[in-house]
Amino acid sequence: MDTLRYYARIYLLIEAQYIKARLQYRADFIISSIGMACSYAVGIITFWVLFTTIPNLAGWSLNELLFMYAFYLLSVTPLQVFFDNIWSLRIKVRDGSFIRYYFRPLNMMFYYVSEVFDIKGLVQFVLGVIVLVYASVQLHLQWTLPQTGLFVVMLLSASLVMISIMVIAASASFWIIDSFPVLALAFKLREFAPYPVTIFDGFFRVVFTYIVPLGFVAFYPAQLFLRPGEASPVVWASPLVGIALFALAYQVWSRGVNHYSGTGS
Amino acid sequence: MRRYLGYFHIVKASFMASIVYPVGTFFTLIGNLVYITVVFFLWHSIYSGADTLHGMTFNQTFIYLTLAGSVLILFKTYTDWALSSRIIDGSIVSDLIKPLDFQVQTFAQSLGFALGNGVLITLPSLLLMVVLFHGSFPLGINLLFFPVSLGLAYMLSFCLDYAVGLTAFYTQSLWGISITKEVIVSLLSGALIPLAFFPEGLQRVLQLLPFQAIYSIPLLIATSSQLQIADYFQLLLVQIAWTIVFLVLTRLFFNRAIRVLVVNGG
Amino acid sequence: MPVIQIENLSKHFRVLNRREGLVGSLRDLFSTDYRTVKAVDDISLNIEPGEIVGYIGPNGAGKSTTIKMMTGVLQPSSGTLLVNGNVPFKNRKKNAQNIGVVFGQRTQLWWDLPVIESFKILKEIYRVDAETFKAQMATFNKLVDLEALYHKSVRSLSLGQRMLCDITAAFVHNPRVVFLDEPTIGLDIAVKARIRTLIRELNNQHQTTIVLTTHDISDIEALCQRVVILDKGRLIFDDAIQKVNYLFGAFRTLRLQIFPFAPETLSAFANKLDSAFNCPDAFTVSSDESGWIEVTIDQAKVPLRDVLNLAMGDFPVSDVQIAEISMGSVIQKVYEGVKV
Repeated sequence: MDTLRYYARIYLLIEAQYIKARLQYRADFIISSIGMACSYAVGIITFWVLFTTIPNLAGWSLNELLFMYAFYLLSVTPLQVFFDNIWSLRIKVRDGSFIRYYFRPLNMMFYYVSEVFDIKGLVQFVLGVIVLVYASVQLHLQWTLPQTGLFVVMLLSASLVMISIMVIAASASFWIIDSFPVLALAFKLREFAPYPVTIFDGFFRVVFTYIVPLGFVAFYPAQLFLRPGEASPVVWASPLVGIALFALAYQVWSRGVNHYSGTGS
Repeated sequence: MRRYLGYFHIVKASFMASIVYPVGTFFTLIGNLVYITVVFFLWHSIYSGADTLHGMTFNQTFIYLTLAGSVLILFKTYTDWALSSRIIDGSIVSDLIKPLDFQVQTFAQSLGFALGNGVLITLPSLLLMVVLFHGSFPLGINLLFFPVSLGLAYMLSFCLDYAVGLTAFYTQSLWGISITKEVIVSLLSGALIPLAFFPEGLQRVLQLLPFQAIYSIPLLIATSSQLQIADYFQLLLVQIAWTIVFLVLTRLFFNRAIRVLVVNGG
Repeated sequence: MPVIQIENLSKHFRVLNRREGLVGSLRDLFSTDYRTVKAVDDISLNIEPGEIVGYIGPNGAGKSTTIKMMTGVLQPSSGTLLVNGNVPFKNRKKNAQNIGVVFGQRTQLWWDLPVIESFKILKEIYRVDAETFKAQMATFNKLVDLEALYHKSVRSLSLGQRMLCDITAAFVHNPRVVFLDEPTIGLDIAVKARIRTLIRELNNQHQTTIVLTTHDISDIEALCQRVVILDKGRLIFDDAIQKVNYLFGAFRTLRLQIFPFAPETLSAFANKLDSAFNCPDAFTVSSDESGWIEVTIDQAKVPLRDVLNLAMGDFPVSDVQIAEISMGSVIQKVYEGVKV
């Protein structure tokens, strides 16, 4: 408990200062926020264009897909906001500057990711909330307290899945010289998360459920709120999947950290 | 003659650099294959039994979109990032003092990279698509026009990247500008959804914009063999017109932006 | 009790024998053709509290590898290593609490933040109590006027200013050992001097042990009582600074540019030295085509100043340099000394 409070205090202290410093570059903040908003608006417009042709996608209506998309936007937000520094990992590993993260009496993953708090990622969160409210109203969803609690639990689990996939991909830089394509691949996979897993046939459905569990990022949990009757029972494993995957990601990261020998210095 | 040799060396050097890490490229290839897989199932479910939608068969749409994905990777040479980092750290000066045209130098660099992409990613992707998903290209006169159209599209795509890179003279927030450009181009050019699927009013607007000349036109040429010769030429003409406009605009932009360098003394 | 205890410490790396070209790099993926590199090979030494130990050697000698083991970055292949009684790799966090590290030119402060905020964050990370923190900051202000930099972001500091901040930051939690890896590299003489004063004062203040690696012999001369020399992973010298001086310190190389330079100038110069000091084994004289004469002087026999005065008086000297002693010649001298 003490440890938790210690880390929380340090994190808040660093981020408060970091945000203050970053907000001085106002133009940069505005431009990147616009970029962020655009990149997700395109996803929504794509759905809208498709639904001018078709009435439903694998049995799901536009509003239901928007709900999944909102879930997806919210579940990738923690990755964007808290873990954005993993994009620089390959550069720091390659030029040797990663070594500095060994020198503090802190957990290294914590220390590493605490260095960047991606403010523009909050745009994702806002967009997600707007779409969620819109879809909920259109679909007449009832948000009771237990429902909301369940939603948060499912959301956090989904976030863990996304974070874990990206941490594993970023850790590749401890072993591979040019690891950018690995990270880019993992990031691209994320784009497929907001589609119903049921559009895939058996083989790929298994892949996206059990091997690269993208189904847990949006579809399975969203199903629980849209059509609880049809929901696949695997959804209840969601928190477990999130935690297990994060444990795996942490293992991969730790091995990478121990593998690193500080070349380049 | 010597000067062209200079450009050729730049192309060769950047081609070699782009194929140096085949392990990384392998992951890009996998990424594209996953994209093709998702496109297949997504559109399979969109068609759900319909023979044609908006005049396109499933096979046509599938070929169109996988080709779009592969061309997207082909054109992704990170020119904007490379250019902006050279502007920001000042090393652009050493390019400017070479007896070569700056834009052509940058183009040569991008071209070498694109060729590397083509050999390592685009061609294998298309081969695998044909083998795994039994997609088939319509063979005909279109195959004659496609390379020309692709070349023009690449010029346009390069000009956009180049212009985005040049904004580094004014701002250091390349990420925002680059991603905005990327998503706007991919949506409005028909790289994500064929333009035929857009509502009609919107389609008419998109026809007037340059973006369709980057993806929609070459992909249309690749996927249809029933057009008249005159139609092909008309499509190419649209691309040529936009290419000229883009080249002029980027030249003007460069001449203006470079003044920042002169004023600040690099 | 020693602060750092090292016994038979080795670090061996397995390195892939890389092949050339595209095909070669593809084959490397499946290659098992490794060779072993002994980055650190069976070294033993103890470091006592309050010592400033100069840790020197040519590139690839194993300096950085040893420091990385002592700071918990690398796991030793064999041998024992204790820092403040901790095994650094196993108890990295605990070890980190008791050490300070400055690693070359890579700042460990927060790039975008004002300097003072970095220090405040460090205060929290190391759980420094308010009183100690205040006292430490006051010391830093007295020594290097840190206050003037408080509100500048680390990004905007000059290399010298950043180095001052990084070094003081390594001391903020009053650690028992501080590792300084090339703290003066790339800095001009004035800043180097400031940094040496700072290091000496900080060492003095709380008897902090300092392990200093450097390429610059004058850093060692200015700061260290004891020198450890590594070469090819092996410890080849570990003794008091005076002993090293005995090996190389007495020699200085004076370079004189003489204009106009005639073919007979060199022999005239040598004769002059002989007749003036009557001590032929104190000099080695040579020249190159471009009009420079090089005299290596044994200062134990003849002071450099006298040679310089003589040259200035009797020859048309247009430029003077005193060459720094290179790491290579030190190593060579050590080996020669070992043989004797």
